[in-house]
Amino acid sequence: MTEVALDRSLASPDGGPTSEVGALAKKRGRPLEIVIRIALFASAAVSVVTTLAIIGTLAKEAFAFFEKVPVIDFLTGTEWTPNFHPAKFGVLPLVCGTLWIVFGASLIAIPVGLSSAIYLSEYAKPRTRSILKPVLEILAGIPTIVYGFFALTFVSPILKTIFPSTQIYNAASAAIVVGIMILPMVASLCDDALRSVPSSLRQGAYALGATSLEASTRVVVPGALSGIIASIVLALSRAVGETMAVSLAAGMTPNMTLNPLESIQTMTSYIVEQSKGDVAHDGPGYSAIFAIAALLFLITLVSNVVSHRILKRFREVYE
Amino acid sequence: MVKLNVQLSKAGSAAPDAASSTQGAPAAGTLPDGDPRILEARNVTISYSGNPAVRGVSLEFPERKVTAIIGPSGCGKSTLLRSFNRMNDFVEGVGIDGQLLYRGIDIHDPRVDPMELRLKIGMVFQKPNPFPKSIYRNVAWGPKINRYDGNIKQLVEESLRKAALWDEVKDRLDDSALGLSGGQQQRLCIARALAMSPEVILMDEPCSALDPVSTSRIEDLIFELKKTFTIVIVTHNMQQAARVSDTTAFLELGKLIEVGETDQMFTKPREKRTEDYVSGRFG
Amino acid sequence: MNLLAVDGHDKIRYRRLKARIFQSTCCGLVWMCVALLAVLLFHVASEGFAYLNLDFLTNNTSYKPEKAGIHAALLGTLWLVVTTAVISIPTGVAAAIYLEEFAKKNRINTFIEVNVANLAGVPSIVFGMLGLAIFSRLFGLKNWVIAGALTMSLLILPVIITAAREAIRAVPNSIRLAAYAIGASKWQTVAAHVLPAALPGIVTGVILSMSRAIGETAPLITIGVPVFILHAPGGLNESFTALPMQIYSWAAMPQKEFHGLAAAGIIVLLTVLLLMNATAVFIRQRAQRKLKW
Repeated sequence: MTEVALDRSLASPDGGPTSEVGALAKKRGRPLEIVIRIALFASAAVSVVTTLAIIGTLAKEAFAFFEKVPVIDFLTGTEWTPNFHPAKFGVLPLVCGTLWIVFGASLIAIPVGLSSAIYLSEYAKPRTRSILKPVLEILAGIPTIVYGFFALTFVSPILKTIFPSTQIYNAASAAIVVGIMILPMVASLCDDALRSVPSSLRQGAYALGATSLEASTRVVVPGALSGIIASIVLALSRAVGETMAVSLAAGMTPNMTLNPLESIQTMTSYIVEQSKGDVAHDGPGYSAIFAIAALLFLITLVSNVVSHRILKRFREVYE
Repeated sequence: MVKLNVQLSKAGSAAPDAASSTQGAPAAGTLPDGDPRILEARNVTISYSGNPAVRGVSLEFPERKVTAIIGPSGCGKSTLLRSFNRMNDFVEGVGIDGQLLYRGIDIHDPRVDPMELRLKIGMVFQKPNPFPKSIYRNVAWGPKINRYDGNIKQLVEESLRKAALWDEVKDRLDDSALGLSGGQQQRLCIARALAMSPEVILMDEPCSALDPVSTSRIEDLIFELKKTFTIVIVTHNMQQAARVSDTTAFLELGKLIEVGETDQMFTKPREKRTEDYVSGRFG
Repeated sequence: MNLLAVDGHDKIRYRRLKARIFQSTCCGLVWMCVALLAVLLFHVASEGFAYLNLDFLTNNTSYKPEKAGIHAALLGTLWLVVTTAVISIPTGVAAAIYLEEFAKKNRINTFIEVNVANLAGVPSIVFGMLGLAIFSRLFGLKNWVIAGALTMSLLILPVIITAAREAIRAVPNSIRLAAYAIGASKWQTVAAHVLPAALPGIVTGVILSMSRAIGETAPLITIGVPVFILHAPGGLNESFTALPMQIYSWAAMPQKEFHGLAAAGIIVLLTVLLLMNATAVFIRQRAQRKLKW
């Protein structure tokens, strides 16, 4: 624990340090202390082992898949027909489906989440905050399966009355509920970012005669911009990995469509489809789920690492 | 966690006398005669991530006396005090040069167990910091973890009595310590330290968070305690130093300006800066 | 003031108007979130209320909607959550203690910290894939309770660690110093003072993470948890189903009746989660009132 560089030989004998430490010596062995320390470290190491295990298994199974299907075909192919003959494994339709969800969700979550955050940090009185914050927490705590049900039985029928061409399963309804789902995350992370901007900056703006709009959009939001961007990236990576709402409401049709009212399939919902057990658990159709999971992991990991970096630097600026 | 560089080569050969040749050393070291030195600092420099807070201080602390360390805020007096029972181990980025000795033992010797050291050298902090537990358990916890084999109840009572708190709390030993007044909490913290029967008690501005009445009670207590214990007290209250201490050391900007008997320090200090400070001309 | 205001009076009025509109918009949007929550809850309640009765809680699932219930699923969820708690709480709290109290600032520990933060962002379905590959297949734990619990434990570990670390960090340092100053070791200090003081915060975090485990579906699907199961599990090495799985399978059915069942299942699920949330909030507030340093 402590690094001590000693040169004992120079210690003077009279009144100086004796070479004995006498009463202060480490007489009590502390085996328990050491055992506990090791156990605690091992617990902390579990998370690292988890990450390594994820990388290891996904890589291993994905490589097995890529022996049958070339990586290039996987990443650039525009047809995903694992159960037909000939089976084609072009992941782009699934990526496209995921992008629809992310895009639609961001259309809802970014404006609404950011304005909510601005309201919470700049306008809301403490009492209002104390009501709104728990509501956002509850929204964030609702299981995704519930959002899926909501999309399927509430949002889709409404879409259908507005746009009669809407299919039962469609990208739009799933994207809308995923947007609602990540909204609390955007709101509360952006709220944190906005609140970490020192109030002296706000007061400076008000002292120059700025209105609340000018103070927040020209001083506070720019001041918190990197934090806001990182928050949004984090939330969108949640949308990428979102599974249940999408499997329930968006359908199971790999489809590179430009029409959000059609049924699509995302990367995650393909994994669900394969895992549900309706399909044989061997063959490339099944091992493809590891390749897709690897892709998912890569996308979310990169966006997480990047946004955590940004957030860390952002926090350092105002500390 | 903490990197300590103890270089004996410099300090080892230095005279144990307080009047070392180091810059900023005390003008003279007229310590009371015949007192064995229980604590000693030899040319100690303590820095926080490279910035020295204590610079080349050499000081001795006689047994069963009260030594006050005074000086303006930020002069390094607390830093110096906390290094005597290695509480600075818990501060990130602290570097210590020179030697700190307890009964001639270098406390940074790798064979020294800081926990054993802290049993000998207790500490009372600036703000009362009782554990959020009952009054009884506050005092009893230390002896318990150190496997005290005597009668703990008796020890708790004794310690509380010595800390002049017993009469006020004897009927509510099981109440939370957080319910006590600030002054009572501080005396509880003193009792907690006494229960370990240390030889030295370090007090880091023990009255700075207290009202005048509580302060005077603690000062009375210090008077009692010095019969049995060696006390080192850091204070920026000059009257307090003058009232309770036998020896006073004056630190400024991390350097020891002067050390001497308290009476002398407050009546005819050798150094102009000491005079300025004790007469309230600055600081 | 007035003199200043006269100059460009209209401009200022226009700017004020814009600011007012902006504020109202933000306010409107945030209250829209509240309304959304209300709509969602109302929709689920209106769909499922008719199916919610005692039989629903005591019957097992069935192909006939009028006979179907969540008995096995509810008990399955209970098994899953308790097992998950037993595995994840000690590990998570221990990891938090290590990172907050014992870890020196070095590369390994910084790596662990970053790693925990990143794991929290990994999609739950990826954890499901891990569970499938390691627990179900490699360890041969199939789709048993123990496989589900191990997978869930890994999933919620980052949540527990983060919450416990925050709670531990909130314990004032003066308490640690007080303990060290009377010769306590690190573990003695942590066990006797830091952990008890951090307990309310830790419990709150643990409850929230458990509610996450209760609501998660995706990892269960990947490890092959069945939906049609007619009995509750009797041990860790038995197949089980869980409430969200049951809801999923009903919601995925085309018939309207099953949607009603799904909604009724959601009502039960949300009630459990809300109760847990309320408990967490209660504990947090009580602790805040009780402990003032």
